Amino acid sequence: MMLLFGTVPSKDLPMTYGQVRQEGDYLLADGQRFSRTQGTGAMISAALAITNYFKLEAPHVLVAGDIGDGKGTRDMYKYLTEHIVELAPDVLTMHYSLPIMALLKKLLETIKGCARRPFMIADAGAMYAAKGAGLAPEFDIFTPDPSEIAFLADPQATHPAYISHHLFACDADKIPGQIADAFKNNSAAKLLLVKGKTDYIATKGEILATITEPNVPTLEPIGGTGDTITGLVSGLVYAGLEPRDAAIYACRTNRMAGLLAKPTPATKVKDIVDQFSVVAAQNYCSWTGICEATPVDRRRHV
Amino acid sequence: METTKQNKVKFVGDGIIIFHDVAGAMKGERTVKAAEYDVKLVAPPPELRIGCDLALEINLVEQAGIERLFKEKGVPFVSIMPLKKNASQMCDIVKVTDFGKWVMVKAGNMKLSYEKGSGIIVNVSGGGCPDIPYLNAEMVDKPLASAPQPNVLGYTLCAIMLQRAYEEALSIYNGGGVS
Repeated sequence: MMLLFGTVPSKDLPMTYGQVRQEGDYLLADGQRFSRTQGTGAMISAALAITNYFKLEAPHVLVAGDIGDGKGTRDMYKYLTEHIVELAPDVLTMHYSLPIMALLKKLLETIKGCARRPFMIADAGAMYAAKGAGLAPEFDIFTPDPSEIAFLADPQATHPAYISHHLFACDADKIPGQIADAFKNNSAAKLLLVKGKTDYIATKGEILATITEPNVPTLEPIGGTGDTITGLVSGLVYAGLEPRDAAIYACRTNRMAGLLAKPTPATKVKDIVDQFSVVAAQNYCSWTGICEATPVDRRRHV
Repeated sequence: METTKQNKVKFVGDGIIIFHDVAGAMKGERTVKAAEYDVKLVAPPPELRIGCDLALEINLVEQAGIERLFKEKGVPFVSIMPLKKNASQMCDIVKVTDFGKWVMVKAGNMKLSYEKGSGIIVNVSGGGCPDIPYLNAEMVDKPLASAPQPNVLGYTLCAIMLQRAYEEALSIYNGGGVS
């Protein structure tokens, strides 16, 4: 089972756990409806596109409304810490949430009691909490953007808003050095997927791959186009791909979907998400070697 | 008979609020606790001792929400700052990208894009705190001049950076260029 964890921008959505499905511009889980177009919703939608393509079990989600005051975040951490052992997800992706280090520490302590440790991916607030708490190496994949890799590279920073100027003045050619620093400072997951004008895939301080094409500059202003990469890599890891390959194909998928959508800075991320199935149908056979869209042996790596 | 004791996780924050005096710190603690923020009273590190020997340790990411709460409740304080010694100051670098019909303004880790002609906000991106998708929903498709502002609706450091991007975007739209 793949479990996707994150807050959604709602004052009213109660904490909700369940298997997710799409209905128009919304996602549904346990009878609750929430937007698929922003943040965690975009991430879930991308993962759902991958599980649909590979005919895998749809993701389970743990979501709660949180407008920034942290109430939903706290409810989600409490539930997950109490239930993670019985839920026993194969892949756990943690996304938008208030970065509360103590709650993440407690969750990770509890995960040590799982019969099989989940494959763990973090982005957004969950990644900030992991770095701030010194727990980054406990995770398998982080998906930072350029400002977030500068944050991971800064040993003093506890939030991307506080990174040092020399790190933030991030010329693209500084990113490889920041990746090396993030690993050196133990502020990186086992694998980093740095999403940006050039996407970098790195482990142990070494860059394994870069992805630059197709280059679609108008993806950068669109809110959620980084979140979709996190969902794509989650789905591809769950489908059984090697983490490195999953990361490369996630970046390619996002870029090619962007190209197909012909975006402007006013395009909404749902228009990119809607192209993922097209990209998968056209390319995944040649990329992954999986040419029959039937359930695959997804336990090879998770 | 066997009993189990579960230790409560001790709160560890990464930001500190400095007050003018001890009474102020205590009032501050009451106020933020009543609003259900995680907090604890601490002695500030020597290099941060400005007014008194009592301060509040907080989650720095909640700075914006706490600042607004103090303003609403009339709680005076000296400053809020990162707890770690030699920690970096808040990023104040702004980058502007011209996309022809649209402009993207980036402040720290946050980006706001608007249409040049109408001033309509078309996208908000970046950040990882829960108020950012909420601010996206509240601000997008509204004119810069009348959109809700991040420092009114937001709670986190991401919201503070988005406010900076918003102010720069409004300044550019009004013909003032990058401030």
